[in-house]
Amino acid sequence: MSEIILKVNNLSKKYCRDLKRSMMYGCFDIIKDALAIPTNHNKLRKNEFWSVSDISFDLKRGECIGIIGPNGAGKSTLLKMLNGIIKPDKGSISYKGRMGALIEVGAGFQPILTGRENIYINGSILGLSKTEIDRQFNNIVEFSGLEEFLDTPVKNYSSGMRVRLGFSIAAHLDPDILLVDEVLAVGDLAFQAKCRNRIMELVNRGTSIIFISHNMNLVNHLCSSVIVLQKGKAIQQLPSIEAIDKYKEICSNFVSKKMNNTGEVIIESIETFVNENKTNKLNPEEDLCVHINYNFIKCIDNPVFVIYITNSEGIHICSIRSNLDDVNFGTLHGKGTIEIVFPKINLLPNTYNLNFAVLDQDSFSMYCIYSNAKIIQVIGGHNVDGVVILAHKWNKM
Amino acid sequence: MINHHSITEYSADKQKYTENMFYDLWNSRELVLCFFLREISGKYRQSFLGYIWAIIPALTTVFAASYIKNNNIINIGNTDEISYPVYVITGITCWQLFSIGLTRTTQCLANSQAIITKINFCRETLVFAAFGESVFEFLIRIPLIAVIYVWYGICPTWQALYIPVVLFFLSLFTIGLGFFLTLINGVFRDLANSLSLLLTFGMLLTPALFSPSVSKLNYINPISTFVISIKSLAFDGTISNPKSLTFLCIISIIIFLTGWRFFRIAIPRIAERV
Repeated sequence: MSEIILKVNNLSKKYCRDLKRSMMYGCFDIIKDALAIPTNHNKLRKNEFWSVSDISFDLKRGECIGIIGPNGAGKSTLLKMLNGIIKPDKGSISYKGRMGALIEVGAGFQPILTGRENIYINGSILGLSKTEIDRQFNNIVEFSGLEEFLDTPVKNYSSGMRVRLGFSIAAHLDPDILLVDEVLAVGDLAFQAKCRNRIMELVNRGTSIIFISHNMNLVNHLCSSVIVLQKGKAIQQLPSIEAIDKYKEICSNFVSKKMNNTGEVIIESIETFVNENKTNKLNPEEDLCVHINYNFIKCIDNPVFVIYITNSEGIHICSIRSNLDDVNFGTLHGKGTIEIVFPKINLLPNTYNLNFAVLDQDSFSMYCIYSNAKIIQVIGGHNVDGVVILAHKWNKM
Repeated sequence: MINHHSITEYSADKQKYTENMFYDLWNSRELVLCFFLREISGKYRQSFLGYIWAIIPALTTVFAASYIKNNNIINIGNTDEISYPVYVITGITCWQLFSIGLTRTTQCLANSQAIITKINFCRETLVFAAFGESVFEFLIRIPLIAVIYVWYGICPTWQALYIPVVLFFLSLFTIGLGFFLTLINGVFRDLANSLSLLLTFGMLLTPALFSPSVSKLNYINPISTFVISIKSLAFDGTISNPKSLTFLCIISIIIFLTGWRFFRIAIPRIAERV
């Protein structure tokens, strides 16, 4: 058993929605703190809400925990509390050793000074002593790849160069715990690869990591367990894959169904079946059967049914049109059901939305469009980048 | 330097503000120096005259004041025992240690908003570094003072060696006040604007340009007390107002310590709101 290096107990933080009121509360709190009057932090005042509420977890040396959740779930607030920038309203944090943060790297650069000078300044702000910076200086410069521009004022750097310099300094802090917030998406691809390697290097050296990202593949590869946050509450601490499924489920609930129609055609409901069972969960190997229950109020000849699948980022993965498949439904009137079968779905594990439309036979005029009508969850299989699994075969030549 | 076994704790209940105040500052001494160097090296890099800008305002004030006096435009009281430019430069330099110090400390938090909300470091280093700029400019002015003293053939008394002690308390007073003002300015930016107005007016309430006997306000205004003591130490070798000076030194220490403590209490609340 490795030792516990960070302990978070019942951590909570409240915020006020209204700026003026927030300032007022702030003044009251400061005065109360200054006069050592105990404050009742349990109660929410008008317009306040819990941004982070009652979160507890332990982090062991060398362990890597991911924190995921939809926007506004309290991830950044939690990180700021861990980093000691803001004070918790309830609960406590205690940790051993040095805490480093890769959050908004490059804050505190003085634009008129050169890169060299800024390395020293930024390093000191982040808590490095001068001797440590002297020792790490060459590594920092080499990592950033900015040797030629060391004596150029930082204001003449491109934004990418600034971030690279900032990251390089922060990445050489040699911390016991490293907080990483969505910074791995900086710089060009070569630099991103460098960042990932550096983080792996730190992990192998025994640095514990708290990792916040919306990139589920990175989370999955880096973290052994993941905390899913929703509206400030930790839903659970789960092994990565389960947590990621949970997160996708939460996110998909945010997508709202929307139906627009001209009043001539209504899609009444969508049903999905897997192995004859009414469910929306399937693995990539299984067949998906979709039932479109329609109601044609007006009599329409040869309507065109369209089904398109989008992923959680709203990107179209495929569109299928009945007229392009030379399928003719004849004249439709009243209620009925159309079935479409996808043998072996072959999508990578994720949450997908099914969207539908009914068009006129000119395949242009629209009677009805039903977006995000149904969610399907593909589970199991491998977590890799991408959307589909193409049939493939390996050979050694 | 790195202690991989030290335990840090943040808690809603415990209030550790004073215990490690001096310890924290000592640990962050390199950072103070770093902020200080960042400001002074950044400030004059894009100027032709460079550090000379630190003495130009004082010099112009001396010229302007001498002109006003020689033409009897305003009543500046009796300063005859000493050459007027010498009188002015002494007063102005002390006043500027205060006024520039207060301006810089007041602005430091607002200027560093980006790092305050993103990085955890000992925030009072910003205030000390900002005051350091004022001290630095003060030191640059010393050769100018020396030149003016020599030019007019005035030799300060040996008691002038006590002046740094008075300046030390003036500094404590300024930093203490700066702690409060920088917090207020962190939230309400109007303060920085009104401050320059107040300081211009304040200079006229302080016997920098004229003799203290001109206005009764000079004996209430705390900065006046410092300026009067410094002048009397330099020119007469005595302290003309020992009681009020002692009282003021004690007040300075109190303001400095309460300001510092208050700053530490308030900064997390400010950081989450700005």
